[in-house]
Amino acid sequence: MPVREDIFWVACPKCGEKFYCDVQLRHGSIKLMCPKCHHRFLDSESPQIIE
Amino acid sequence: MSKDLRTYLAELDRHWPDAILRIGREVDPREFHVSAVLQHLEDRGDQRVVLFEKSLDLEGRTTNFSLAYNLFVTRELCARAIGLASSDAKMPLSLEFSRREARRVEPEIVPLSRAPVKEVVRTGGEIDLSRVPMFRYHEQDIGLYLTMVAVMKDSEENFYDVSFCKNMLVSPKRLTVSLQRKLHKHLLNIVEKNEEHDRETPIAMVIGHHPAFYLGAGALTTFGNDDYGTIGSFLDQAVRLTPSESLGKDFLVPADAEMIVEGITPPHSAEIENPFGEFSRYYQPQVAVPYMDVTAITFRKDAIVQGIFPGHPGHFNLGGIPKEGSLYREIKRVFPGVQAVHMPHSGVGRYCCYVSIKKRREEDGKLVGTVPHVFTNQLQFVVVVDDDVDVFNEQEVIWAAVTRARFDKDINFLKGMPRSDRVIIDATVPLNEPFPKKAVVPREALEACVLEEWIAPAKSAGKKAVGAAPSARKARHAGS
Repeated sequence: MPVREDIFWVACPKCGEKFYCDVQLRHGSIKLMCPKCHHRFLDSESPQIIE
Repeated sequence: MSKDLRTYLAELDRHWPDAILRIGREVDPREFHVSAVLQHLEDRGDQRVVLFEKSLDLEGRTTNFSLAYNLFVTRELCARAIGLASSDAKMPLSLEFSRREARRVEPEIVPLSRAPVKEVVRTGGEIDLSRVPMFRYHEQDIGLYLTMVAVMKDSEENFYDVSFCKNMLVSPKRLTVSLQRKLHKHLLNIVEKNEEHDRETPIAMVIGHHPAFYLGAGALTTFGNDDYGTIGSFLDQAVRLTPSESLGKDFLVPADAEMIVEGITPPHSAEIENPFGEFSRYYQPQVAVPYMDVTAITFRKDAIVQGIFPGHPGHFNLGGIPKEGSLYREIKRVFPGVQAVHMPHSGVGRYCCYVSIKKRREEDGKLVGTVPHVFTNQLQFVVVVDDDVDVFNEQEVIWAAVTRARFDKDINFLKGMPRSDRVIIDATVPLNEPFPKKAVVPREALEACVLEEWIAPAKSAGKKAVGAAPSARKARHAGS
């Protein structure tokens, strides 16, 4: 499947919005950005990660 | 006369007055006005170019800008953009595309005073991207985007690369440059070459130009090609270039653009972008990409800000049409019996390919089906049919697949490919065994039948498909 990217799902620690990221961002130093509330956070701060 | 977006829209108005839908109601970039209107029109089968005549900026202020969408929404529009008749919108368009790719028309350099895009120049403290309309299109898009092309110059080998590249607004003076590190793209090659020497990369976004400019930018050229020459081939005239405002006089930008956003990408820059609904019709995952610090914005006083509705028909055409001509040429080299190649919208113009052939040997279907996979790495699925099947008519292709392919023998896989095996379906009629004959109305009877003499005139013309030939329109009304 061409759209089966190497991704992991996260949940925003502030608003709970779930979205997915490229695996290159897993355990990285760049803060993720919630598409709903634009809160910036490290993946380690996410209450739920699915990979 | 130099071709630009305005000359093209005027030409449409002159020859096809129904081709443009003008919307006078004000668009607010903070809402989903643009994508909601475009989605409704698509759902209704309305395939007109859309001009939103009034747009607010990102702070809700009135602007002099208008917005242009759906310039590539049909193959007929793409054909017209490069000077072909609407009736040439199938394989002739793809073949002409392939011819134009192989040709060059050298650009012409004009002084700043002859460059419409320099009517308004904003530099330094005057730069404020919040005054430029940008849009979210889909529910989970993370930010506001521009969706057109970027120009970069390879300073070592002195060529320009012009490629589609979206930008997300980061701040009033910063945009992302959507080049993913793990994908190999021409623009990224230039950025990475500069990064090896710790150099920044100048970049200019071209927001609004003649559609042939963008079709040329989408051509499948090799890295190192000077794309302004290829774009000239698609415009069928020299691209007029003028010195940039902030990237040096030897960095040339299109003089007839509606708007240019110039900037500098620092080495190893990284900014978060996505989710963004992309051509696949899925959200692209969040990723780190380079960014650009904007150094100048130049534009016409009443600039038309052009956009692509991502993951919708115009986007599919931009991906598929360039590949069809190239694939036809490559298949023809090894198999002269190829008749037509189509990258359908169902495969978003990238993932799926239909090929028709004049079959001579039993193995032809399977062998021909391998060729497209070699030349397009995004491709997943190839169906090869006989030449009695119109590859531009998906219903016919699927009919051929379900009636002619022996599923235990004619579905083959290219194993061990990245992400997933690739598929080849040989949907050609077997040569050496009895097979039923396709039922058709006698050709002589069709030619003798003038449909208008048999049916009453339609009470309502209904919506005209843009560019459809009169006979085709009539045929559709008759069948509905």
